[in-house]
Order: sequence, then structure tokens, then C-alpha cells
Amino acid sequence: MSDETFADVVNGLVLGVGRRRDRAWPAADADPDPPAPAPAPPERSPVDVLPYAGLLAADPGFSADASIVRPYSWTRGRTRSSVELRIEAMVTTTEHGDDTESVTRSEHRAVAALCREPRSVAEVATLLGVPLGVAKVLLGDMADLGLVVVHRTATGGANKAHLLLMERVLSGLRRL
Amino acid sequence: MDSVGYREPEAPVVPTLTSVKIVVGGGFGAGKTTFVGSVSEIMPLTTEAVMTEASAGIDDLGATPNKTTTTVAMDFGRVSLESDLVLYLFGTPGQQRFWFMWDDLVRGAIGAVVLADTRRLSDSFSPIDFFEDRRLPYIVGLNCFDGVRHHGIEEVRDALAIGPEIPIVVCDARDRDSVKQTLITMVEYAMEQWVAVHGAGVS
Repeated sequence: MSDETFADVVNGLVLGVGRRRDRAWPAADADPDPPAPAPAPPERSPVDVLPYAGLLAADPGFSADASIVRPYSWTRGRTRSSVELRIEAMVTTTEHGDDTESVTRSEHRAVAALCREPRSVAEVATLLGVPLGVAKVLLGDMADLGLVVVHRTATGGANKAHLLLMERVLSGLRRL
Repeated sequence: MDSVGYREPEAPVVPTLTSVKIVVGGGFGAGKTTFVGSVSEIMPLTTEAVMTEASAGIDDLGATPNKTTTTVAMDFGRVSLESDLVLYLFGTPGQQRFWFMWDDLVRGAIGAVVLADTRRLSDSFSPIDFFEDRRLPYIVGLNCFDGVRHHGIEEVRDALAIGPEIPIVVCDARDRDSVKQTLITMVEYAMEQWVAVHGAGVS
């Protein structure tokens, strides 16, 4: 089933992530120095972008310092997204986003390929092997460009819709 | 109105989905990942958030003398409740010094389950403080390791200094039904709290 395939892909990745965590990266020795939000947005194009295939290969030689610096070059140094994207928000590639001719940045193509089936922001981050903040910036850009749609999340607060949503969650849990 | 020449905006090509989340807190080794894995339809995944001086903003870093870059990991799982409704469970690290960055995590959450190991109840203090501070409804799940409970529920309530209204349930993080029941209690409690605050009036 597709879930098994998904799990297989992910298992490899999780191991990779675990290893990096065990090394307590990025420790002081790695000193990745992720760029602070620049006062003036840098104009240059991101360089040295890793192809998606390279990421998914879970290359054991994928060094910690490179893995942290490169994603931030994808975001051109930004650590905040323009859109509010919750970590549980699901994202689906649009027809436009699926059109490889019109998607010029390789990291956008990678995300578009991932989100042909709906995935949460957290899943996208994990599957791309990038920190959450980076995934948010990428997805925010793609939403602005109409390459992905961001689905609904809970409204919270005093909105009655939140109560109705909780009722649906409750019924769903009871049926499990 | 004459609609000749007018084109409807393209109908959404993707069906609308809604996703919600429940946060699972607790100290290291309290069973968060096991809990998530018991109901998740995918292997629990790990995602990482990088905390930097830039992203820390005005948050209190007083307790962390070295403002260096830190990576914290959280485990999460997914449960499809309906064809268009998905629940995500996020297990969060328990270290107090990381809590300030979890505003992002709790925003919009239905509520939280604090998993407590009765042998190390003090590990539950900081998640409980955090959820109370953010007014996020939470319940306490006493993860029953080896089927042995070391304290009675009211003893635990006293030790955790939590109000009588907050549900404390005994659960086995390895058992799907037990986890499911814990989540049900959590959502029921969140709904009660919502009604208590906002009223159940028909609108």
C-alpha cells in the first residue's frame, strides 16, 4: 500500500535525522551561522542548490554544516514566512505548481513533487530534511506564486466553527 | 447579469481539507513517541526547528546563558479521521529551556496531553506550566509503565498542583485503544472548556 511505501521512505530519513540529533548538531564547532533576517533582501540567486534526489538519497556524507547552511540559501536568508503557516497545515500542489515548465526553482519543484498528495508543513520539512522554518518560507513563497494551496486549520478562539470542528474530531476518534 | 465573456475563477482543483493538532507534552522518556506511534497511520516522523538568536526574538533567553544555535526535534504522527479531516499529534521535548519556542506549536491546537511518568512527576511541571500559561486545555495521562502505578490519582493531582477539574487518566502509551481513549477525554475536556468560556448558545 502507499502508506508502506511512504513509511519506507521515511524510515530511512528518520534514521538520518536521528543521527544528526545524536551529534547534537549544530554544535558550536559546526558554527553554521544561519543568516539573520536581512534588513535589505539580498538580490542574488541562491547558489549551490541541492537537487531533491540528493536529499532523499539520505547520503550519509551529507555533512551537518552543509545541511544547515544550504536550506537557508534556499530561503535567501529569510527565517520568517510572509504567510502564517501552521506546522499542521496541509499543502497540496496546484495544477500550476505541477507544471514543471513554469516552476523554475528546483527546490520548488521538489516541494511540488512531494505535495502531489496533501502533506503537512511538518511532513514537508521532514521529507526535505530541512528545519521547519525553512519549509515554511519555501511553502509561503509557493503559496504566493500559486504553486500550492494551503488547506484549513482550526480557527480556535470564540468562533463557533471551532466547537463544531472539535465535535467532528471527537466523532472521528470514537470511530477509530 | 450577462455572463458572456466572463470566466468563473478556476474552481479549486484540489478538495479542501482541514487539519487539526493535539500536542503531547511530557518529560524525556515519558512515552511521547510511543503514544504518538500507537495511533499514527505513519511511522512517527521527526522534524526539527532551529532556534537562533534571530528567531528567538524577544523571548526570554535569560535562563540560557549561551545564545547559540540550537536544534530541537519533535516527533509527530498523523491520524486520518475523515476523508477531509486529519489529526496531527506533535510530541514536544520537555526541556524547560525550549518551551518558549513552542508558541508556534500550540497555536490553534485543540489541546494537549501531558504524559507523566509517576516515578518522575517533576518532569511534568514545565509542560503543565506552559500549557496553563497559554490557556491551552490539557489533561494528564499517567503513563502506566509495566502496568504498575506508583501513586493514586489524587496523590498525583496534589503533587502536580493542578485543579480538580483537570482530567487525569491512566493510560498505556503502547496500547492503541488506551491512547485513543486518552485523546477522546482530551477533546471532550477541550469542548467543555470551550463551552464554559464562550457559552453553548446557538448562533
